Amino acid sequence: MARFNLYQEEFHPSPLKRTWIEFRQSHAALFGLWLFLFFILLMVLGPLLAPYDPLTQDINALLLPPAWDANGGINHLFGTDSLGRDLLSRLIYGCRVTLGISILLVFVAMLVGVAMGALAGMTKGVRSSIINHLLDSIMVIPTLLIAIIIVAILGTGLVNSMWAITLALIPQFVHTTRDFVRDELQKDYVMASRLDGAGKIYLFFNAVLPNMIEMLVVQGTMALSVAILDISALGFLNLGAQPPSPELGTMLSEGLKVAYISPLSIALPGCAIFLMVLSVNLVGDGLRSALRNRFKH
Amino acid sequence: MYFSGAMLSSFERSRAWISTCLLMLLSGCGDYSAEMSQQNGLIYCAEGSPSSFNPQLDTSGTTVDASSHQLYDRLLDFDTQTGRIIPGLASSWLISSDGLTYTFQLRKNVPFHSTAYFTPSRTFNADDVIFSVDRWRLSHHPYHEISGGNYPYFNSLGLKDVIKSVKRVNGYRIRITLHRPDSSFLANLATDFAIILSAEYAEQLLDQGMPERIDTFPIGTGPFKFISYRKDRFIRFEKHENYWKHPFAPEQLIYDITTSSSLRLAKLLTGECDAIAFPSQSELNLIEQDEKLSLDVKSGLNVGFWAFNTARPPFNNPDVRKALAMAIDKNTLLEAVYFDRAVVAKSILPPSSWAYQEEGKEMSYNPVLARKLLRENGIEEGFGMNIWAMPVERAYNPNARKMAELIQSYLKDVGIDANIVSYEWSTFRQRLKLGLHDSVLIGWTADNGDPDNFYRPLLSCSAILSGTNRAMWCSPEYDKLINDAVRYSDPQERIDLYHKASDLLYEQMPLVPIAHAYRYQAYRKALSGFEINPYGGVRFGEVEMSK
Amino acid sequence: MIRYIVRHINLMLFTLFALSVASFALAYLFPADPLVNLSGVQRLSEEEFNLLSEKYAMNESIIIQYLQYMSLLFQGDWGISFSSGLPLGDEIKRSLPASIELSAYSLVISMLVGVPLGFFAGLRHNKHTDYVLLGVSVAGYSVPVFWLALLLIMLFALQLPLFPLSGRISLLFDIPYSTGFILPDIWLSDINNKTAATINAIEHMILPTLAISVVNTAIVLRLTRSAVLDVMGSDFVQAAYSRGLTVSQVIFRHGIRNVLLRILPLLALQTSTLLTNAMIVEVIFSWPGIGNWLLQAIYQRDFPAIRAGMLAVSAFVVIVTVLIDLFARLIDPTQGAPRRGSL
Repeated sequence: MARFNLYQEEFHPSPLKRTWIEFRQSHAALFGLWLFLFFILLMVLGPLLAPYDPLTQDINALLLPPAWDANGGINHLFGTDSLGRDLLSRLIYGCRVTLGISILLVFVAMLVGVAMGALAGMTKGVRSSIINHLLDSIMVIPTLLIAIIIVAILGTGLVNSMWAITLALIPQFVHTTRDFVRDELQKDYVMASRLDGAGKIYLFFNAVLPNMIEMLVVQGTMALSVAILDISALGFLNLGAQPPSPELGTMLSEGLKVAYISPLSIALPGCAIFLMVLSVNLVGDGLRSALRNRFKH
Repeated sequence: MYFSGAMLSSFERSRAWISTCLLMLLSGCGDYSAEMSQQNGLIYCAEGSPSSFNPQLDTSGTTVDASSHQLYDRLLDFDTQTGRIIPGLASSWLISSDGLTYTFQLRKNVPFHSTAYFTPSRTFNADDVIFSVDRWRLSHHPYHEISGGNYPYFNSLGLKDVIKSVKRVNGYRIRITLHRPDSSFLANLATDFAIILSAEYAEQLLDQGMPERIDTFPIGTGPFKFISYRKDRFIRFEKHENYWKHPFAPEQLIYDITTSSSLRLAKLLTGECDAIAFPSQSELNLIEQDEKLSLDVKSGLNVGFWAFNTARPPFNNPDVRKALAMAIDKNTLLEAVYFDRAVVAKSILPPSSWAYQEEGKEMSYNPVLARKLLRENGIEEGFGMNIWAMPVERAYNPNARKMAELIQSYLKDVGIDANIVSYEWSTFRQRLKLGLHDSVLIGWTADNGDPDNFYRPLLSCSAILSGTNRAMWCSPEYDKLINDAVRYSDPQERIDLYHKASDLLYEQMPLVPIAHAYRYQAYRKALSGFEINPYGGVRFGEVEMSK
Repeated sequence: MIRYIVRHINLMLFTLFALSVASFALAYLFPADPLVNLSGVQRLSEEEFNLLSEKYAMNESIIIQYLQYMSLLFQGDWGISFSSGLPLGDEIKRSLPASIELSAYSLVISMLVGVPLGFFAGLRHNKHTDYVLLGVSVAGYSVPVFWLALLLIMLFALQLPLFPLSGRISLLFDIPYSTGFILPDIWLSDINNKTAATINAIEHMILPTLAISVVNTAIVLRLTRSAVLDVMGSDFVQAAYSRGLTVSQVIFRHGIRNVLLRILPLLALQTSTLLTNAMIVEVIFSWPGIGNWLLQAIYQRDFPAIRAGMLAVSAFVVIVTVLIDLFARLIDPTQGAPRRGSL
C-alpha cells in the first residue's frame, strides 16, 4: 500500500553521496572506474588468475604465437616469449607489480607530503619561506626528470627507482597541502575554534584534515597516473625494475628484442600501461568535475 | 609483423612521392634523386665503439672491425676462400732452410693516407715495417709505452721472445730472424693485428709532442682514410684515392654505432644501414625472407664448450669428466640455443680448419653409461656442482644461461644437482681466472686460420696464467705435442701431431666441445664483393655499390 | 611589478644556487674519488694529481672548493667524460640544442593543433564535440610516450617504410657543427646538396616530433579548453554580450587574446614535461640529444657526465620556466599569483 508523506521531506544526501551522484552522471568516469576496479581485482587476485608462473621458462614452447593464430595453442592465450614464459601470466603479474608499486609509492608520498605541507602551512618566518621557495622551484622540474637524476645517483634497480619516484612525488603533495592549510586557517570556523583555545595540532586534525580528504584523493589520482607512467618509463629505460621481473615497462623493453617475431610482446604491456593510466585519469577527471559541480550547486 | 615484397615496393613508391611533395613545398623545384646520388657511401651498423684505431692494442672484434682492414694493410693476408697466405704489402718472401730467417720483398709506390692532420712525404718502405714491429716487440721503443703499452695478441703468443731481430736489407727488403722455428709465424703476420703503421707520421707526432694521436688519428695504407669519430655515435671514413690495390671502394664508409641488435636489424630493413654486424640468430629468418637483403653464411673459426675445472676434485678425474660429457645431448643444445645455426663440435677445431679431423672420435649421448661411470667413480646420487654461464651473447654461445639450464636438466637425469652461477661480465672473467668454478660454459674465436690458435690458448699450461685455459688443465704430454707441431712447417706432419693432441683431449676430456657457430653477414643486395672474412675482421675495401 | 620581477629573478638565482650545490655535492656522493668525479680524469699520475688538486682547490676548505668549482663552471671547464674523454661542456653544447630543437617543433605543432581544438571544445561546452575532444585528449595524455614512439616506428618506419627510424640526418651528410640545430646548421654549411640534406633531416624529424606532440597536444587542448570556459564565463565577456556584440565579435575581440594570455604561463610549466618526453623519445629514435646522452652516461656510470648533465638540464628547465613566466607577466600584469597548471 502506498504511503503518502505528510511532511514535505527534503533530501539531504551527505557530501560524499552528492559527489557520487555527480560522478555517476559521467559515462566516461564510470567506465574509468570499472576499468580501475578491474585492474585492482587483477592486482589482488593475480596469482589465482594467472595460469602459469611468470618466471617459469619452458624450452619446448619458445615464442609460441597467440591462441588465435593457426599455430597457436589454447595453453597459452597470448603465446609465449623468447624464453617460453606465458605472456598472459606475465601480463597479469606485470599489472600487479606496476600498479601495486605505484599505489604504494603514492601512499607513502602522500603521508610524507601532507605532514611536511601541514608543517609548512602552519609555520611562518624565514625557514618556511626558504622551504617554499625551494618547493616552488622543484615543482617546475617534472617528476620523471627528478627520478632519473635520483636513479643516476643511487644506481639503477627497482628499489632505487621506487625511492626516486616517491621523493619526486612528495613536493606536489607538500605544495597543495600547504596552500590548502593556509586557506583553511583563514576561515571563520577555524578562527572561532582558535579563539576557543584550540591548539594547532587539534586544529589540523579536526578542522583542516577532514576537509582535505577529497582534495587529497584528487591529487592522489593525479599522482598515481604519474607514478605508473614514471615507474614503467624507468623500467623501459632499464633504470628501474630489471629483467626477469615482470614489470610492464621492463617487459616492453624486453619485448623490443623480439618485436619482429612477436609484435604482441610490445603491444600487450604497452596497452596495459595505457589502459591503467587511462582509467586512473578518467576517475580523477570525473572526481574533479563532480566536486566542482557539487560546490557549484 | 610480416613484410611482403609487393607491399614494400608500393610503399617505397609512396615514400618517394611524399618526399617529392616535401621538396616541392620547400624549394619549388629541383632534382631530388640526382642530388641524393651524390651522397655515395656505405653505412655499416656496428655493434660497439672501438677503444682505439690500432688493433695491435686490442684484440676485441669491435676494434679490429673498425680498423684492421679499413685503415691498414699487413705484410701478408689470408685468402678469404682458401685460407692460404697471400702477398699483402710484401710482394714475395723467402724462408731459409733452417726455418729461422724470413726475407720479405716489399711493394713499391704504396702511398699512405693524406688527411687534414698528416701529409706524407714518401711512400711505404722498410722503415714502416720496422717501426710497426718494433713498437710491440721492444720494450724500450719510444712508442712502446704509448696508449698503455699492452699488446695482447702478441703477448699471448709470446711472439716477442720468438723474434730475434728485424733488419733492413735495403729500402724495400726486410729480414726477420727467429730464435727457433715457428711454422705459425707467417700466419701471425697475416692476422688482423699485424698492421703496418707509418714511421714518418710517428716521428712527426713525436716532434709535436703528442705521440698518443697515432692510435686515435690513424694513418695507414688501407682502402679508407679516417675522417672523424664520435664515441657511441659514428665513425666516418673516406675513400683512399690512391689505394695501391684497386680504384673501387665506396666514396664514404660510415660506421653507425648501434648496440641493440634488434635496432640494427630494423635499420637494415628500413635501408638506413647497408650492412649490419652480428645479426641475431633468432632474426635470421626475417632477413632470409626479405628479397632486398642477402644473408651469407660461413662456418666460423670458433668453438663453444663446457670446461671442467680440472684443478678441483672430483673433476680432476678424467672418468668423471667423460661421464659428464656423455650425460648431455649436444644435438638438443644446438637446436634450442643456436636455433640449428651451428655444427656439432667433435673436437676444439672447427671443420673449416685445414687440420680438421673428419673421422675424429666423439663422445655420444649415453645417460645410462654416464650414470654407471659416475657411480663407479664414487659420485653419489644428489652430488652438487655448479655451472658458470657467461652473461654475454657471443657467436659461439648466443645464450649461455639457456644452455646451462638445459644441461642442468640433463645432469638431473644422471643424479647430479647442478647450480647455475653468473656474474657481471668483468667480474665473471676475473673470478674465472682465479679458478673458483666447477665448470663453465664459454668459448673461443680464433684470430687466424692456424690450428695452433685453438690448441695453445685454450689448453696449454702457460695459458692457465694468461687466463684463457678455462679448464685449468696442464699436461706436459699435450704441451710437447703442440710445441712440436709448430716446429714443423710441413702441413702433413703438423696435422698428424694435432690429431694426436685431439685424441689425447678425447681421452682426458678437460672440456666438452659443443658447437661451432656459423658466421653470418647480412647486407643489402646493392652491395657486391662483400665477403665474410673467416680469418678476422670485416672488410669493406672490395665492396662496390650499385644503385 | 618590479618587485615581482626581482622576486622571480631571486627565486631563479636561489634555485640555480641550490642546483649547483647539489651538483657539487654529487662529486662527493658518487662512489669514485671526488677529484676524479669533478675532473673526469681517471688514470692519474702523481704529477697530474697534484696539478688537478690545485686546479680544484682540493686542499682548501669545502667552501673554497665550491667557489673554485663554480668559477671553473663559468669558464666553461666542466671536466671531461669518463667514457668519451671529451670535454663535457662541448658534449652538452652539442646535445642540448638537439633536444631543444625537438621540443620546440613539438611545441609549435601542439600549439597549432591544440589551441584551435581547445577553443572549439570550450565553445561547444557540454556538447558532443566537447565530449569527443575531451575523451581523445584524456587518451592522448594517458598514453605512455615511449610506447607511442614504438608504435609509430612499427607502423611508419617498418610496416610502411615511409620514414627513417633513427638519428637526425642520414650519416652520409657530414654537417659541421655551428649552432647545434640541424636545419640552421645545414643552411650555414657549405655542402653542395642542401636541399637533399634538408629533406632528409625533415624526414628524420617527423616521427619523434609526432610522438611528443601527441601527448603535448592533449595537454594544450585541455588547458585551452578550461581557459576558454573561464574567459567566456567571465564578467567582461558577459558585458560585451550585453553591449550587443555578436558571438564571433566577442570571441575575436576579447576571447582569443584573453585565453592566450591565460594559457601562456601554464605552457611555461609544460616546457619541462615537454623536455622530459623529448628525452625519453630521443632514446628510442637514437636522437643525439641530451636525454640520450644522459642515459648513456647513467648506463656507463659516467659520474662527471651525470653531474654535468643533471646540472645543465635542470638549470635549463628552471631558467626557461621563469623567463616564460616573467614574459607572460610583462604582457599581462593583471594576473594573480602564479598558478600551477591544472588539467
